[in-house]
Amino acid sequence: MMHCTMDDLLALRAGEASVWARKHIETCAACRAELDAVYQRVAQLKALPALRPSRDRWPVVRDAVRAERWRKRQTWGVWSLAAAAALAGVLLMRPNQGALHAELAQAKQQSATLEDELQRYDVDGRVLSGRAAALVADLEDRIAVIDGALTSPTQDAQLVKLWQQRVGLMQQLVTVRATRARYVGL
Amino acid sequence: MTVALAVPDVLVARAKAGDQAALESLFRAFETPVYNLARRIMRTPEDAEDVLQETFLEVVRSIQQYRGEGHLWGWIRRIAATKALMRIRRDQLRAAEPLDEEPVGRPGTHVGANIDLERAFEQLSDTSRSVVWLHDVEGYTHEEIAELMGKSVSFSKSQLARAHARLRRMLGEGQGAHA
Repeated sequence: MMHCTMDDLLALRAGEASVWARKHIETCAACRAELDAVYQRVAQLKALPALRPSRDRWPVVRDAVRAERWRKRQTWGVWSLAAAAALAGVLLMRPNQGALHAELAQAKQQSATLEDELQRYDVDGRVLSGRAAALVADLEDRIAVIDGALTSPTQDAQLVKLWQQRVGLMQQLVTVRATRARYVGL
Repeated sequence: MTVALAVPDVLVARAKAGDQAALESLFRAFETPVYNLARRIMRTPEDAEDVLQETFLEVVRSIQQYRGEGHLWGWIRRIAATKALMRIRRDQLRAAEPLDEEPVGRPGTHVGANIDLERAFEQLSDTSRSVVWLHDVEGYTHEEIAELMGKSVSFSKSQLARAHARLRRMLGEGQGAHA
């Protein structure tokens, strides 16, 4: 007697079996038992206990994300310096464009300068207290949020505001780093 | 393993804005299901931990692209499955093994012995384990598995049938009419 193959049994389970297989399973106890075994195996697989990692991988993920953000910020710094220089050039050519563009250029210039200053403190290598590290992480997160907003199309006035906020946060970041560097004598 | 985890929208919104605490909360919420999926597919705990790490790095990088359509777990699970399958493919390329090759059983185990299902499952090839786990446990369709693996639907179906036939033999179930 011909029996269902495993392909037939899985097709029966999926409701895609051939007419022959559907008729056969109704009359063959052995094949019904095989199909039942398939269901049981799957149920047992689903019931296996959840396996958990032996190590906490979040610190590695967090540090990698921070390092990526830092690299992005450095890139931003270079670009903002170039953009500020270009804008200054445009303003010289078109003096009537107004104070908004001047403010924008100034904020970008300040931001770039602060990025350079921050690099002097060797951001990833310094020892920080827990409190200072938390403060730095918070400031870096807030800067990352602003950087995210700066990638979206924004009106000039809003752009100036975002860049000025960025400069404010960068100044705080530099202050924390500089204070810590003086304190530990590095 | 069933994951019925509801994540508040506000947490996702904060994670999208780059909030570190929110990102860590997402990690904590999904680290076990992601690791479990990776561990069931990958051969070693170290590989599974690497998949966990790569998955969440991708989640952090791409969270802004998540549009809230469907459960967040579905989105994260797809990233995890893709990372695991990429790693398997890379390892197979390095070892120059064909994708559907059955592995040699681990020392001390014999085909046909009455071993438990978990151990029998571990004896399957990487590809077979992936197809069985994604289809039978995670609920992926053959079409979805084919897309994830860069293979055809019939490849996925035949892998599943071969894997079940092998599990049946290893569990010593092939004593009757289907032996």
